[in-house]
Amino acid sequence: MDKSLSKEPMLEMFIFENLQLLEQLEQTILAHEKERCLENAVINEIFRIMHTIKGAAAMMMYDGISSLAHAIEDLFFYIREFHPDEMDYSKICDIVLEGIDFIKNEIGKLEQDQEADGDSSPFVENIGQYLLQIKEASRNSKLINEAAARPAGHRKKFYISTSKSPPTESIKRYHALIYFTPGCEMENIRAFNLVHKLKDQAEQIDYIPADIIENNDSVEFIRENGFAVIFSTHLQQEAINELFMKEAFIDSLDLRVMEDEEWEIEQLRARNQIVLEEEPSVRNNEVREIGANLHSGSTRQSLISVNVDKLDRLMDMVGELVISETMVAFNPDLRTAAKLDNFHKATRQHRKIINELQDIVMSIRMVPLSMTFQKMNRLVRDMSKKLKKNVELVIIGEETEVDKNIIEHLSDPIMHLIRNAIDHGVESPEKRASLGKSPAARVYLEAKNEGGDVYIIIRDDGAGLNKEKILERARARGLIQKPDSNLSDGEIYSTILLPGFSTCEEISEFSGRGVGMDVVLKNIEEVGGTVLVDSTPGQGTTISLKIPLTLAIINGMRVKVGNSIYILPITSIKESFKAKPDNIIVDPDGNEMLMVRGECYPVLRLHQKFQLKSALKKIAEGIIVIVQNDSGSICLFVDALLGEQQVVVKALPKFIGKIAGISACTLLGDGRACLIIDVANLINPSKG
Amino acid sequence: MKSVLIVDDAMFMRYTLRKILEKNGFLVVGEAENGLLGAQKYGELLPDIVTMDITMPELNGIGAVQLIKQINPQANIVMISAMGQQHLVREAILAGASNFLVKPFSEERVVEVLNSI
Repeated sequence: MDKSLSKEPMLEMFIFENLQLLEQLEQTILAHEKERCLENAVINEIFRIMHTIKGAAAMMMYDGISSLAHAIEDLFFYIREFHPDEMDYSKICDIVLEGIDFIKNEIGKLEQDQEADGDSSPFVENIGQYLLQIKEASRNSKLINEAAARPAGHRKKFYISTSKSPPTESIKRYHALIYFTPGCEMENIRAFNLVHKLKDQAEQIDYIPADIIENNDSVEFIRENGFAVIFSTHLQQEAINELFMKEAFIDSLDLRVMEDEEWEIEQLRARNQIVLEEEPSVRNNEVREIGANLHSGSTRQSLISVNVDKLDRLMDMVGELVISETMVAFNPDLRTAAKLDNFHKATRQHRKIINELQDIVMSIRMVPLSMTFQKMNRLVRDMSKKLKKNVELVIIGEETEVDKNIIEHLSDPIMHLIRNAIDHGVESPEKRASLGKSPAARVYLEAKNEGGDVYIIIRDDGAGLNKEKILERARARGLIQKPDSNLSDGEIYSTILLPGFSTCEEISEFSGRGVGMDVVLKNIEEVGGTVLVDSTPGQGTTISLKIPLTLAIINGMRVKVGNSIYILPITSIKESFKAKPDNIIVDPDGNEMLMVRGECYPVLRLHQKFQLKSALKKIAEGIIVIVQNDSGSICLFVDALLGEQQVVVKALPKFIGKIAGISACTLLGDGRACLIIDVANLINPSKG
Repeated sequence: MKSVLIVDDAMFMRYTLRKILEKNGFLVVGEAENGLLGAQKYGELLPDIVTMDITMPELNGIGAVQLIKQINPQANIVMISAMGQQHLVREAILAGASNFLVKPFSEERVVEVLNSI
């Protein structure tokens, strides 16, 4: 590769495009493996993808990748051209999948700025041997077929034989010896191209070596001895010289006029038939057909790929724009101005446009989960094959969209949970049969939207979690302090998420040694999600990942508590009102409760929770906001509601750490920092 | 300045070719990702030269050459071939391609071929 070309974007594109191709290829293979047959379209696709990868890798001089891709391409070329009957489809799928893995691994190295130095020769050899094997196997049957169906009347055109007329006065016979530029490749085809071009200007064209197309050794011959063409034309020597030299990759040309007797001898020798195949006349029809399709299927180019960094920057900028918009609209200086009707009108318009902009940017960042989900097919396939378990993966709701940044954190946890489900959850086929279950186990992978959250649910119909064993283990490791009777099933199951917990004695190839579950939890918490574990003995385990739709911008309600302002996420607010003193109940411990339409809610005074001074003592003087999440509802007592606004969520600075009841912070219009309340924590302080 | 249309299904290849061509004084007027689109774009843009990959979805390079030659019998098309595609290149030449390049190619070779047209 030429050093002067900038390498960075090229490498990036190489990685991006080829990973995409590999992903596509993997899906295709997995989808067709079950049918135990590869359609022509699929074979073509595999061939084409490998061809593309080979070409790109060769350009970048990744020999390992390119030779492996080449080997697979060869294999599929053979399959495409000869349709061998004796093929082990599962073996072919294995070969391709192994190849995909190798190339992915190499590309992974490139992504991390390492050299793609993996050695693919064992794969290449393996593929070569397999190719030989199927060639061998299909040879016998082919022989019979061939004898029966020899193409009749294969038309050939002999250039020599067309030249019956003797040379007239003005026509001269020329001899040209041509050497091509070393390393220009496919010299034989270059020679063919020359002859082809010469056909317009000359006749009685003869050349050595004669079998340039049929015989691949002709390349070597031309490289060493040059390519000799003999032809008759009325053109002058200079014109011919010019014609040749205009052609690319001609290193040297030796052109001379032939003497008459020389011509005679040469003509005799030339009876050796030099062949240029006549084009079949069918082709014209074909072209017409293709031409008719030209208008129908060609309006597809509506996608572009964009660097994620740019998107992130765009998102940041929009976030800043939202902040600065509030800074303008709620500018403290405006309080002194008298009449602001026009200003408010303008800011409303302004905000509307920003909102739309924000929606668009958000939607750009939303990516369907299907890629992540489809990847699991491969995992399930490999594992069920290795563990000899019959497992079917059922994917539901893969079109559900999640913010791009979040999706990156999901792949590993999902993969780990599915591994666990198959390795530990699902029983062996024999055991399933003895339990009266269907021998084929099912693992469900489901995604759905609920409010501002996305749920990803991994469910299996295996043995379920063993409560006693979990308890015993948790106690042995000192993970539980409370007495058994105080623990709910959910709490017991949740201990498997704690660091240092593992119920499986032996370490298996797939599930590892229990470093996983706490990593799952960590990964999910990193994106602001939660993990719920549920299980029914004998019927299976369900693990739900609850993940926020997006992390970047939320709709918030500004509430005043003492002299401070907090943000409550709008999605968690159920209602707000002024409470009547009669509806307030105080229990013997002094806890306040509020009756709303016959239901009783605990009251939390935010100023007490955050230890602020508030002038308001009586609940009736302030405002009650009922907030809810999936684990319950609670009444928050605040001084006043200040208004709704979009806020850009910023993580709490590292030096502050985690604060109970606070999830993040944001900037207000006047530049003040403001804390965002973690509703889930207020409702259930033991969680998250 | 000669105008060029790049037809290749691999974004990487299109990008590489574009870089080389733009650096050497060619005007890349368009890119297409398969033969059909390539032929269509040819009709719209009528570039001086087309670089044409052979193995592509929808319609391969040879079919595209045939289509383009129907639009303009004088069209200049350079095939971009891989090693081992001799027969396809030959077919492309019979269909009317002016010349060809073999992947992996260097900057000089691309320039030499395109300048010869």
